[in-house]
Amino acid sequence: MAQFFTKGKILFFLLIVLAFSAFSQTTTLPAVYGRVIDAQTGEPLKGAVIALDFKKSGTKTDSLGNYKIHLPYGEYVIKISHVGYNSFRSRVLLKKDELLNVELNDVTKQLEEVIVSSSSTKKDIQTPSLGVTILSLKGIKKLPTMMGEVDVIRSLQTLPGVSSVGEGSNGLNIRGSNVDQNLIYIDDTPIFNPTHMFGLFSVFASDAIRDLELYKGGVPARFGGRSAAVLDIKMIEPNTDHFKMQGGIGLVSNRVMAEIPVIKEKLSVLVAARGSFNDFLFKMVAPDNLKNIRANFMDIATKIYYRPNNKNTISFSNYFSYDYYRVDSLFSLENVVAKRTNFDYGHQNFAVHWNHYFSPKLSMMLSGTTTFYNTKTYAPDTVNTINLLSSIKYNNIHASFDYIPNDKHKLNFGVSGTSYKIMPGRLNEGVASRVSTVIIPDEQSFEAGIYADEEFKVSEKFTFQAGLRYSQYWQIGAGTVNEYASNQMPSLGTITRKINYAPGEVMASYGGFEPRLTMKYSIGKDATVKFGYNRMQQFFQLLSNNTTPLPTSRWKTASAYIKPQKSDFVSLGLFKTFNENVYETSLETYYRDVQNTLDFVSGANLQLNPNIETQLVTGKGKAYGFELMLQKKKGEMTGWISYTYARAFSQMVGDFPEVQSINGGNWFPTNYDKPHTFNAMINMTPTPHHSFSFTFAYNTGRPFSSPSGLYEIGGKRYPVFSERNNDRIRDYHRLDFSWTISNPSMKHVRWEGSWVFTVYNLYGRKNPYSLFFKSTKYGIQPYELSVFASPFVSLTYNFKFL
Amino acid sequence: MLKRIFQSILLCGILSFLVIACVFPVTDFVQKDATSYLVVEADITNDPTTCKVRITNSANRLQSVLMLPVTKATVYVTDEKGVQTFFKEGTVSGTYLPPSGFVGKVGSSYQLYIKTLMGSEYLSDVETMKPVPVIENMISNFEIYDQYIKGDPRRGGWSVYLDFKDNATEGDFYQWNWKHYEKIQICATCTGGGLWNFTKNDCNVLKFPNDQIWNFQCDGNCWDISWNNEINVFSDVLTNGQRIVGRQVARVPFDGYGMYYFRLEQRAITKSVFNYNQSIISSVQSNGSMFDVPAETKFSLNIKSKTNPTERILGVFNVYSADKKIFFIDRSKNIPEGERANISPLIGDVYTCPPGAVGCQERVPCFEGPTRTKITPEGWNL
Repeated sequence: MAQFFTKGKILFFLLIVLAFSAFSQTTTLPAVYGRVIDAQTGEPLKGAVIALDFKKSGTKTDSLGNYKIHLPYGEYVIKISHVGYNSFRSRVLLKKDELLNVELNDVTKQLEEVIVSSSSTKKDIQTPSLGVTILSLKGIKKLPTMMGEVDVIRSLQTLPGVSSVGEGSNGLNIRGSNVDQNLIYIDDTPIFNPTHMFGLFSVFASDAIRDLELYKGGVPARFGGRSAAVLDIKMIEPNTDHFKMQGGIGLVSNRVMAEIPVIKEKLSVLVAARGSFNDFLFKMVAPDNLKNIRANFMDIATKIYYRPNNKNTISFSNYFSYDYYRVDSLFSLENVVAKRTNFDYGHQNFAVHWNHYFSPKLSMMLSGTTTFYNTKTYAPDTVNTINLLSSIKYNNIHASFDYIPNDKHKLNFGVSGTSYKIMPGRLNEGVASRVSTVIIPDEQSFEAGIYADEEFKVSEKFTFQAGLRYSQYWQIGAGTVNEYASNQMPSLGTITRKINYAPGEVMASYGGFEPRLTMKYSIGKDATVKFGYNRMQQFFQLLSNNTTPLPTSRWKTASAYIKPQKSDFVSLGLFKTFNENVYETSLETYYRDVQNTLDFVSGANLQLNPNIETQLVTGKGKAYGFELMLQKKKGEMTGWISYTYARAFSQMVGDFPEVQSINGGNWFPTNYDKPHTFNAMINMTPTPHHSFSFTFAYNTGRPFSSPSGLYEIGGKRYPVFSERNNDRIRDYHRLDFSWTISNPSMKHVRWEGSWVFTVYNLYGRKNPYSLFFKSTKYGIQPYELSVFASPFVSLTYNFKFL
Repeated sequence: MLKRIFQSILLCGILSFLVIACVFPVTDFVQKDATSYLVVEADITNDPTTCKVRITNSANRLQSVLMLPVTKATVYVTDEKGVQTFFKEGTVSGTYLPPSGFVGKVGSSYQLYIKTLMGSEYLSDVETMKPVPVIENMISNFEIYDQYIKGDPRRGGWSVYLDFKDNATEGDFYQWNWKHYEKIQICATCTGGGLWNFTKNDCNVLKFPNDQIWNFQCDGNCWDISWNNEINVFSDVLTNGQRIVGRQVARVPFDGYGMYYFRLEQRAITKSVFNYNQSIISSVQSNGSMFDVPAETKFSLNIKSKTNPTERILGVFNVYSADKKIFFIDRSKNIPEGERANISPLIGDVYTCPPGAVGCQERVPCFEGPTRTKITPEGWNL
């Protein structure tokens, strides 16, 4: 701290000297000058901060939005920021007086676009939002990576309340949620499988991301369709002024991103692509048996941004991901003779957005989005050919309005309609093979939502945000619903009648209100207490009984037998900043209750099963905990430490408990129940060219089923599993390190390179992913599976062309 | 050096991609819970030598080898005509055998009844014996599993495949088991310098052991028996009525150059037994990946307690018909260049009586047991 003040004094002294020097040389030094205005209204912005070369201080604009700074000849990085507006950054080569007029975008028009960077926006203190975390990509890039890949999903796991089943698993568990209970959006299009390589890497190309918001609680009414959390990822809006390019070369993938202005200040295009090229590595260094393996992935994001005038913006974005694998005997179909299986999956997402500003008080956003997620499993054997296809087609239209009549009220309201078309599985359709053709009928459904959210600033101390959403869901024909004998468990043998529905006919419908409420009460200038309550419904669930879902896992919409999930969530938070927002502390506690969750009967057959309701057990879940976090947001050293206590339990008992129950119908911990989690992240930037980061993660081991003895059948011994998840694997802990060297040449040129050296799992702990048992000749042997059991070193080269 | 480091980094990365993660045996595992259950292993087959009912208690410790037999129980099966066949406890405690001449018939249905000495009663579901198709063709190919280095016994071996025609009816389930008989010359090995005690039928332990290992020859024909460790089942749900071609049923090790006796049994099993085996496969056989399904044991699958409906019973009532085929694999042919058999050398010396020793014995009997027999295997012609 003493050092901080010493440096502050030195900086202050330098600024005085600089100011004096500038004053004394106004007649000779050139100046950068201009005007800063609101991009939507054209109003001048008073008090915008103009900072130079990453320094903390600079000048401010006057009441007319004007500024002027005299500087020695040279090249400078200029940053213009204002509370409530997106910051502007640019390089200026100062040979003579340079005019730089800047338009800043008002973030209140797009609440989710607020970026928490090293300069705090005090969002946690000033707004009623609770359980909302905003991460800038700049922040994510500071975290040590695994294999050099900047990874959104992994970065989120450093935050309190966010975890996964284990290293390399697919998806996120947020405050006791299952992975399918979280809505993941990229530019308002949903992502159904957020990882490449079965869980190792996020599907999001980091270069194309502007920022992301994670709603762990306090989900605004505009979001619907999932029962837990929302991860809202926004793609970059390409620069309309000048061409930019950046990219990187890494061990896993290579990537490039370009922002291309087509019509200056009106039309620009973003193209970002990432691809892994591992095949040649397999041929070079892999053992013989791995040489045949193919494992590649890629993703491409494009965006066309058009701003015909200050009142309208139109964007067309596209996101495309693709994974391809060829492996021996992995992920093959059961009961099929096939030696080698090919496997691919991917997303094709499209979104069109039109933003229109009627006036400074009223604006509108219209969007049309579509997502197509498909998987293919195939083995081109001559006689036992298999070709299994599945897909999800999602279409959505959404109209949203923001009305801000005065400083006290902010109203957001809108309507949305979503259609789902699921192709659960088509095996060998039109394919000549000894393996049968099996076609599971397609499923159609429609979900409509209407909502309104009002933020009312009752007083300087008290603000609340109250929202209400009504969601209505219809499962639509054509289709067939089985009717089962009333007092017998649903099975093929107890079907009494099949009810056929014509195309367009409603097969099942559900609906209900989803109230949302967050309240903030300020205690003094730097502290607030917040309360939140959510109800959310989910009509679309993932059917998977694996530890972590496979990309081929089946999604299912609500039906006559599968009721929508309903979640009630309450949370309470205390936030306080210290030392002019340098430090921020938060304490959040929550309780979540979920109805109609799904699990599966013993030995369930989920793939290619037309009567899936016979395999399901419906139950409920509960999760509770508290999260404690301390952040240091400014200075050469920034970071956070957090402690989380979190529990998540399920209770599964159906109408026929002798078959439809798990753990005898008693509550049991979920796979992701990890009571104690401690995370720490430290980033040090001693010079603009070097930064060092450490992350440390600790959590209690996750549950596993431990045997209660063994038995012998047919001369072989097997463990007896009496209860699910009755024990825990060893605790997990890991330390990562990264060193970033930015612009090592230290020359101010348009091409800027940087190197990132990372060590993942620095002290090489063999963290277990799971504990499992094998029968051997001599009894039962327990084993631990460890995904990254040694330190992993990687080096990545990144470049920018500004 | 640098290249080697770079290559090892790349290789680590690739292996990590493939989720070929590391697996470590756990040596300090502490059991959380210890419970014992009744275990019923009941087989009604079309082979009179394999029909039996074995009743034991499961061990409540993973390290335990003791499965307490349940003796003096009343055991019978009832067929579809109502005929009851009582099983009597044989020489092995807890194992009940049918009267001679009893054999299961394809198409017949059976229900098992058990009453223990303590008065607990158990009744199975009615299970019907399905016809088993004949094994049409069996082939073996020498295949290298090159994830294992040269010298690793798992590297080279013969993969055995079979073809058969699935029954035309839907809902057929199959299981394969194999047995191998290896004729042996050495019937006992004593370490520490001790000799075979022909009175105790065990090795003598010296007060001051030394490094000498003595091997004792068999006093007649003797075979070691080995069989499949893994469960191999199949459903015709996707291939009903088709000819099933190239189903792998075994892997024969390359541990010698002689002919390899291989007896394959193809079973037509019931749906219950298929489900039962599937649950074992997912719990202890196909586990250890990142995508495991929850480990679970199927209790009371097709045998339930009449006296205590909540009682959890292990095991299954297995009604099946079987077809067998005996096959010899010539392990001296079709071996790729550079591949060698992994032959375990005989460690120690073969014991021979000193010249002139009176009453000395040097050949040990072949003791019958689950892993050894002196009865010539069926079809043995070597």
